[in-house]
Amino acid sequence: MIEIRNLSKTFKLSRKRRKEEGASGTDGFVKAVDNVSFQCRPGRVFTLLGPNGAGKTTILRMIATLMKPTSGTIEVDGFDTLQSPREVRAKIGFLTGSTNLYARLTPNEVIKYYADLHGMEPSRFRQRKEELFELLDMNSFADRRIGKLSSGMKQKVSIVRTIIHDPAVVIFDEPTTGLDVITSRSIINLIRRCTSDGRTVIFSTHIMSEVSMLSDDLAILHEGRLLYCDTWRSFREGMVETSLEEEFIRTLKGDKS
Amino acid sequence: MKTIITVFRKELKDSLRDRRTVITMVILPLLMFPVLIGLTSRFVTSYEEQAQEKTLTIGLSEGVGAEGFSAGLEDADNLSVITGLSLDAATEMVIADSLDAYLLFHEEFARQVEELGQGEVTIYSKQTEERAIEAGRIFDLLDEYEVELRELRFTGLGIDPDAYHVISISTENLATGKEQLAEMVGGILPYMFILFCFLGCMYPAIDLAAGEKERGTLETLLTSPVIRTRILIGKFGVVVLTGISSATISLIGLYLGVRYVSAIPAAFIDMIMTILEPGSIVLLLTLLLPLTIFFASLQLTISFFAKSYKEAQSMIGPLYPVIIVPAFLGMMPGMKLTAATALVPILNVSLATKSIIAGQSDPGIMVLVYISLIVYASIGLFFCGKTFGRESAIFR
Repeated sequence: MIEIRNLSKTFKLSRKRRKEEGASGTDGFVKAVDNVSFQCRPGRVFTLLGPNGAGKTTILRMIATLMKPTSGTIEVDGFDTLQSPREVRAKIGFLTGSTNLYARLTPNEVIKYYADLHGMEPSRFRQRKEELFELLDMNSFADRRIGKLSSGMKQKVSIVRTIIHDPAVVIFDEPTTGLDVITSRSIINLIRRCTSDGRTVIFSTHIMSEVSMLSDDLAILHEGRLLYCDTWRSFREGMVETSLEEEFIRTLKGDKS
Repeated sequence: MKTIITVFRKELKDSLRDRRTVITMVILPLLMFPVLIGLTSRFVTSYEEQAQEKTLTIGLSEGVGAEGFSAGLEDADNLSVITGLSLDAATEMVIADSLDAYLLFHEEFARQVEELGQGEVTIYSKQTEERAIEAGRIFDLLDEYEVELRELRFTGLGIDPDAYHVISISTENLATGKEQLAEMVGGILPYMFILFCFLGCMYPAIDLAAGEKERGTLETLLTSPVIRTRILIGKFGVVVLTGISSATISLIGLYLGVRYVSAIPAAFIDMIMTILEPGSIVLLLTLLLPLTIFFASLQLTISFFAKSYKEAQSMIGPLYPVIIVPAFLGMMPGMKLTAATALVPILNVSLATKSIIAGQSDPGIMVLVYISLIVYASIGLFFCGKTFGRESAIFR
């Protein structure tokens, strides 16, 4: 469960950006997330949809305790991200599309490293690793250096790394960016599997097909503000346009007008 | 502690599988001294041999003096003599390198010698550093001629030629082997150790900070339930270890160089071996450790701030002159370790290493060196921790 209340995040602009935007009167600061509130429930996929720069990654980074909110609160499974960041991190798995792995290590070594960082018991680790390696058919390349693996194999390693410690909450930040169709499908399957296990899943995307394929709940973000937040079913039923893409653009335009 | 060890072990394994780290940490420091010593001794030896064995072509002017000199050269090895040359012709030949030197015996030479004066001889040659040995050979020939003439003069005067020497001068060098060595190589060794400490830290520091950022692995690492300081200490430990290992391996390289490279004078080998005594090594390493911590924190701070591996490299690059200048100043003759220089980072290590090699380290000043190094290392660590904790640096 993730509970977000009145969340805002302000960044100080770099000197270069300040110069560029001097006339527009930003006072040297930009609001990346502006008073956002929503709730992600266990067993459901919560989708953050928005164009580039909407604030999706910033929200996910704040949930993962990588960034601190300027104001507002975030609770993950009852733990506040500012008060108990370690407890929060123990509960989450985090996967991004731009995430890479340690090319000079083997899948076995990488998975063991993350399991150790999560303080997993050796017996629990062995059991969970065997389970996941079997499930994703990874045993044939478990001892090969990651730098020599195909992108599909690497993605499997990333998936296992994300969920080896059995997290209650899984965060996916544009997880299929730059991946081919087959590899993207393995991520989609993982997201589905996570919800069927009763985990809370939040994922960000700007790919419409993924929204319709996975979402239980949907939030549309634009320039840091929440334009829509309800169930995917309600959104679909209330659509004025014929396609999701058109409806999404209409929502953004509505925000501008 | 367990998480620090986990991070340390992983980072060490990862770094040791990086070819660039292995080259700068092991191969370069191990080979540098043997190659340097081998090439220098081979070059010097072969240059000396060539200069000694080269057939010198010397031209002589006309006259009795030149003839007398020429007569004594008949049995000389590697020597070709052209007699009766005019100054103009000889000058052209010297300039064209067909003559190594021209000896002009003054036309009054015979009379000057006969009247108990000094016969004048002028040498025309190209007086450059690389021809110093050849010039020495010509002076030796003239010296022999002078001895011959002096003996004739003394005998003619009824004086024992041995009575010429009124004072017999001999010298005893009371400087210890270590002191002589400090003078000779004491400047260059600290410079090399400092450089290896810096280079040894460089690639791991860039890879473990900017490299992780660029790969996106830092973001996932920071979402693990580990206190950031522990991650930093684990990474920091590896960078310091590679830096200090690099310097230690260079010591092994130095040992191998003097032990197994031929054509090094035995006295020189003995002197070098005195700095490889356990006591000197321990002192050296205790100096290099805080310096390496300072370098590691400096490079990690920059690397955590940089957006990419390339940017980190281009930001750390300009540090070279900053490191090299004080290390180089330590090589200057007359530069001593004082209370003031003990406070200048890098220069203090350079001078303290020199004094350790010479066996002349002042305990009071050394304490000052250690204190200043610890202070600099702490400041470096503080900024490193600050940068690692700043989200504006991590997500720049």
